[in-house]
Amino acid sequence: MPEPILEVENLTKNFGGLTAVNEVSFRVHPREIVGLIGPNGAGKTTLFNVVSGYYAPSRGKVLFHGKDISGKPPYVLAGRGIGRTFQVVKPFPGLSVLENIIIASFLRHPKRVRAEEHAWKVLEFTELADRAHQSAASLTLAGRKRLEIGKALALEPTFLLLDEVVAGLNPTEVDHTIELILKLRDQGITILIVEHIMRVIMRISDRLVVLNFGQKIAEGPPEEVAKDPGVVEAYLGVEKA
Amino acid sequence: MKDRRLSGHLLVFAAMLLIPAVVHDTFLLRVFTEAVMWIGLAVTFDVLAGYTGYLNFGHSAFFGIGAYITAILMVRAGWHFAPAAALGGAAAGLGALIAGFPTLRLRGAYFAIATWALARAIQQGVLMMDITGGPDGMRLPALLSPGFFYYIMLGVVGVTFFAYWFLLERAPFGLKLKAVREDEQGAEALGLNPTKLKIQAFVLSAVPTGIIGGVFAYWVTFIDPASTLGDLVSDQALVMVVFGGMGTLTGPVIGAVLIFTFKTVFWAYLSDYEVLYLIILGGVIAASVVFLPDGVLGVLPQRRKGVEDHA
Ligand SMILES: Nc1ncnc2c1ncn2[C@@H]1O[C@H](COP(=O)(O)OP(=O)(O)O)[C@@H](O)[C@H]1O
Ligand SMILES: [Mg+2]
Repeated sequence: MPEPILEVENLTKNFGGLTAVNEVSFRVHPREIVGLIGPNGAGKTTLFNVVSGYYAPSRGKVLFHGKDISGKPPYVLAGRGIGRTFQVVKPFPGLSVLENIIIASFLRHPKRVRAEEHAWKVLEFTELADRAHQSAASLTLAGRKRLEIGKALALEPTFLLLDEVVAGLNPTEVDHTIELILKLRDQGITILIVEHIMRVIMRISDRLVVLNFGQKIAEGPPEEVAKDPGVVEAYLGVEKA
Repeated sequence: MKDRRLSGHLLVFAAMLLIPAVVHDTFLLRVFTEAVMWIGLAVTFDVLAGYTGYLNFGHSAFFGIGAYITAILMVRAGWHFAPAAALGGAAAGLGALIAGFPTLRLRGAYFAIATWALARAIQQGVLMMDITGGPDGMRLPALLSPGFFYYIMLGVVGVTFFAYWFLLERAPFGLKLKAVREDEQGAEALGLNPTKLKIQAFVLSAVPTGIIGGVFAYWVTFIDPASTLGDLVSDQALVMVVFGGMGTLTGPVIGAVLIFTFKTVFWAYLSDYEVLYLIILGGVIAASVVFLPDGVLGVLPQRRKGVEDHA
């Protein structure tokens, strides 16, 4: 096994009296796709927010390439190679799709002209090029989710956190996005993905981590986790998958 | 992208350079000088308001700091005007840096209140100090050359405008500011430090405002806390920006010219009705917020918008 790219160690995040993430530990290795699943309110998004620097952990720590990154702000972590999408998408609505991607491209290409060139590549890759001059606000939900991925990709990350990028899409769009994610893995990007649709998560994940009420209740290959009685009760039972 | 063509701006600037050659009437040249000053105050206000979404109700403080530093250095230390005004600008920039750290982390409404309160505190401070002449104000050495002041004002405002044009419409900085304005958390995920960017914008807004204050002091030869540090500077700049079109460079210029023309005509013919002016000003801002969300600029048909809206 190579060195892990991400190590989450005994991570706890409290909001006042509520423990959203409770003593969670797991690792992600280079070029893996790890699925993070669990019922609504299990703490998945909170965990993403801690890993990407939006919240400091209450206890425990997060290591990225072996270095402690707990409490470092998001813009520093973006520079280190962590890209993320938001479950509630965050386009810059008043700006064009192209401008949205250019802004993300500035991280690796500080010159305007180079950033724009790079942005066009990302637009081609995410199949948004034909909508480049539309306002981000005018995109459909599928388009906005794609823009969300495009912005994260424009950062040229080595590690990508995807929070429900498939939820709400129709089956064709779902397949489309799955293809995109697999292509990213093939390019060498390591991915931690939160997704509710079991068909998707079972198909693309090398490994699953299951959260319930903030605690990790299972971890392993998808087929094993799917048979785990605790998981079936906590999660699959609810979803009736 | 809006405002990316330079040629139109340069043409207007060239035309403005010619004004003293055509206008020989001293009073009229004063009016033009003041118009240019308000263009400067509106554009500097908009760097923060339009590009980051923060309304600075203490914009007058930068103007007043520049005016007072210039006056103090010239009167009490015998400095020449140019270095004095430059230091006035630097002092305003330093003020923005210090005030920006705590206040630009706040959300917009709290920032507006905090800057307003800070400006009031500075005004009170100046009223109580000896070096500023307190409520009696300060008299500067008079230089009777209307042409000189027109050109100085135009030079300062012109350099400011073209520097802003480059930074905000051409360089990455402007897009980064807009990203922070549109979604601060989303911007952070893309490697942008919102507080740093907002402070940079604040300083960028403050420095030329301070220099303009310095030019104003030398030009009018008399300053007091009310004329330089009062609410009018901030309020009027806000009205001009909202009326002309926020978040653009052309909008505040148009707003400044229209509002200033209205003000001048009003004072010329209806100066007995001072209160009426403020009522109309208030009415204009309320109406433009409701009916012209993108300002006058937003209703001009030939304006090419930065993005097409298909929503
Ligand atoms: N900023 C916050 N403040 C207070 N409670 C929060 C906050 N964010 C999340 N929570 C709570 O933490 C728990 C986990 O939420 P979340 O991480 O969004 O779950 P998931 O993404 O797994 O659906 C929920 O009970 C949620 O209400
Ligand atoms: Mg969630």
